[in-house]
Amino acid sequence: MSASDGKPEAAATPSLSAAAILRQVGVTYLTPDSTEIYKGTFSLMHVAIRGPESNLFRGVFAVRAFPVSQPNRFISLRYVDVLDNKEHEIGVIEDLSVFSTEAQKVVRDALRKQYYEAEITRILAIRWQFNLLFFEVETTLGRQEFMMRWSYDRAQSFGDDGKVLLDVFENRYVIPDVSKLPQADSETFQRYIYW
Amino acid sequence: MSPEIKAESGSVNVQPLPDTVRSRLVQEGVRPENVCLWAESDLDLSGVPAWVWVVVTRDRVLAIPANGEQATDNSFEIQKVSRFKIRSTIGSAFLQALVEGLPVDVARFSNARRERFSRLLEQLERLRQGESVSVDRVYENSELLCEKCGLPLPAPKAPCPRCIKQGAVFVRTLKMLRRYLVWVVILFALMLLGIALDMMPPFLTKILVDDVLKVGAQPVADVQGALADRKQELLLVVLCLVGATLARNVLNMIIGRMSSTVGTSITFDIRCKLFDRVQQFSIDYYDRHPVGNLLQRVHGDAEAFHSFVNQVAGGYLLNVLRVIAIGIVLFSMNWRLASFILLPIPLVILGTAIYWKRIYPRYYKLSDSSSKVYSTLNAIFSGIRLVKAFSQEKKERDRFVKNIDYYRGTHMWVQKSVSTFSPIMAFIFSLGGLIVWYAGGQLVLENRGVTLGTLMAFLAYLSMFYGPLQSLTDMSNWLSGFLAASQRVFDILDTPPAMEDQPDAKPLDRVTGSIELDRVTFGYDPYNPVIKDVSMRIDPGQMIGIVGKSGSGKSTLINLICRFYDIQKGSVRIDGRDVRELRRQDLRRHIGLVLQEPFLFRASIAENIAYGRPDATPQEILDAAKAAYAHDFIMRQPLGYDTQLGERGAGLSGGERQRVSIARALLCNPAILILDEATSSVDTESEQEIQRALAVLCRGRTTIAIAHRLSTLKGADRIYVIDDGRVAEFGSHGELMDQKGIYYKLVKIQTELARLEDKV
Repeated sequence: MSASDGKPEAAATPSLSAAAILRQVGVTYLTPDSTEIYKGTFSLMHVAIRGPESNLFRGVFAVRAFPVSQPNRFISLRYVDVLDNKEHEIGVIEDLSVFSTEAQKVVRDALRKQYYEAEITRILAIRWQFNLLFFEVETTLGRQEFMMRWSYDRAQSFGDDGKVLLDVFENRYVIPDVSKLPQADSETFQRYIYW
Repeated sequence: MSPEIKAESGSVNVQPLPDTVRSRLVQEGVRPENVCLWAESDLDLSGVPAWVWVVVTRDRVLAIPANGEQATDNSFEIQKVSRFKIRSTIGSAFLQALVEGLPVDVARFSNARRERFSRLLEQLERLRQGESVSVDRVYENSELLCEKCGLPLPAPKAPCPRCIKQGAVFVRTLKMLRRYLVWVVILFALMLLGIALDMMPPFLTKILVDDVLKVGAQPVADVQGALADRKQELLLVVLCLVGATLARNVLNMIIGRMSSTVGTSITFDIRCKLFDRVQQFSIDYYDRHPVGNLLQRVHGDAEAFHSFVNQVAGGYLLNVLRVIAIGIVLFSMNWRLASFILLPIPLVILGTAIYWKRIYPRYYKLSDSSSKVYSTLNAIFSGIRLVKAFSQEKKERDRFVKNIDYYRGTHMWVQKSVSTFSPIMAFIFSLGGLIVWYAGGQLVLENRGVTLGTLMAFLAYLSMFYGPLQSLTDMSNWLSGFLAASQRVFDILDTPPAMEDQPDAKPLDRVTGSIELDRVTFGYDPYNPVIKDVSMRIDPGQMIGIVGKSGSGKSTLINLICRFYDIQKGSVRIDGRDVRELRRQDLRRHIGLVLQEPFLFRASIAENIAYGRPDATPQEILDAAKAAYAHDFIMRQPLGYDTQLGERGAGLSGGERQRVSIARALLCNPAILILDEATSSVDTESEQEIQRALAVLCRGRTTIAIAHRLSTLKGADRIYVIDDGRVAEFGSHGELMDQKGIYYKLVKIQTELARLEDKV
């Protein structure tokens, strides 16, 4: 009810209609009812779509739509068509946990293939020379050393509080939250990566 | 046909196969001598760091872990592989074999190995096609790393900043300043004179206290005469003090003016040299170096040479000499007292080291946080209509508050640190003085060889001693910064233009306009060709259309005809002559280019039209504009052809800018005209006018048009359809429609879209 004249307000356009329209033209969502995910020939991920538009896709790979904010949701399953050599999307898994354990494992393995990032847990030392930063770090893949050009575009934002460092070969080193590093490490890091 | 294994000479560093891998090969039934290619990857397929060797024989590809474990499942017979390829993922990549239509992973590698595996891929494809292969090619040294120390180079094949001798950089810097060497020497001499003048006031103070103002040193009978004498001496010493102070200030003025003249002249010269050199580079260089980076080099790094002159005139060098000179004076005056001065020096050095390491970097952060506030405000105010339209005022306020909070935190940290640090350092400095007061005072009282004047001179010298010492602790930072900046300047000056004209390059006076591409292959990254074996022949005066999806390679073809890049295979010929044998300036003089985004300069409209022909007469400019349907809107401007345009042609609409660019091309009267989506970014009304202008422009010229709207190409003599870097179809509009291939589908889609738009 409107507070001013006591007349009922015009009903707002139901948000469902907008969502429904978007769903019609938007991405295809994959659910366990419509989709079977399994490991097939050459240990590749295969995806079988059931229903009127049934199809089998072999050699499928998985890509995260929101790698930082929602790494385990909205996973796009894609393939490269051998005829046009182009990448196509089969559909998006909104919530992986609703799939069977086996299917989840296949998708997670595929995600591991798609992303290779060392997560930095400690900054042991940083040295600046020749406009390069020489890092010595502890990562989830063990102790590593790498070189990075000292420029803005080489240390990109990773969410609100993190950073992705790109070394001279474009290898990726992620710090999900700089403030969660040990204080001395965080200070050392921010002495050079202050942006 | 069995491929020939060819050994190549050159800069290579082939890693031999480990014994464990050789043993495993034998177990797998492979004779090691049959191995023709190999490379080691640094990841296993699941992404765990591990050495895995990709080993290739004439008929098999195997992936064997370095520890000699069994070969992975993904080993293939080459004849079953229809293609090898590299699939890049986030942070790593896979070497894949296409088997039975499936992309099967052979090996995984981090981006550090990408260059080597790209070369392996090239060799694998050669092997698959029965051509000769060489493992040397796989192991050729990277152009991106220093061969000696492995340090990444600022640019491919650029000098290594580590291996180049720093002394050599200094010598080179001095050579660069040769023209100004006399002035630099004069500045240095004046600086030495300045130091000598700095030494005078404390020395005169000593005379004043010990000899002129001394109390009770004269017999009473002589008091009157002595007083008069001492008054004269007082006047003399004070005049000397005035003279020394005045001379020092005059000298400062001369040094400042001279160093400013010399410094700015040097940076002017260096910027000109850098600009001339950068202009000679190929488009490829600009692709690899962001514009901001080049701006920094041409403008910012050149400034380092100004700072060098400033340092000679009054910076670190002055401070080094000053510390030495004052030290000598102090020790020669009284070595015992001088040795007390040294006591606080470790604290001074420690304090300043802490400052440069801990506090100074926070100023970068402060500057960054300040620029974030500016850029946020700029973005919000520039897009204020959008903010209001979407009612996002609160969100933008929160964003702004977050930024100013970050700025506040950083600013507070810096100010608190400085407020704490400065008094501590002041205390340390005063400590030296207090020690001298105490120790020197005792010596004066006990009359042990130190007079009051000496003590006061000591204290005066002392105040001049710690300051320079403090600044010297940062000298290594400045020095490495200067050397890095000068090295970057030399990098540019030493980089040869990527596409120099051949010494015997021939002039190209007249062109009929025939163009021939003969089996052209090209990739911006040589390992990933975007144009693959393309051939086409265009006769003089023909109009050719090029169509294809985004990223299919249409614009790259244009870049090759203009010779913005050199091709890797095949040849591009104009009038039967390879473009690499022609002078680039001549070649481009005969090619007119109208781009999708017309680029206009900050200059008058007339100057923009006459950009390619600065000698054009006003009549020619008017005629070109009239023919390009630009004349009327130009005449509506209050200042007509003299209207000054802003950056990138600001002040004109998209269609107007395009018509000015057509007039510019028309004025050059090129034999070959290239239209790269010339009408795709303008409205329909402007497009019609531009089409009319283009019709005039194309008359009697060889024209190549890339067009998004296929209807504009109906009249073309021939249309080439490019797909994935290859010519997929070609023929006239009618012929292509009859083929019912890609072109037919594209036309149908556009016709359908147009029909839908009409209905709407």
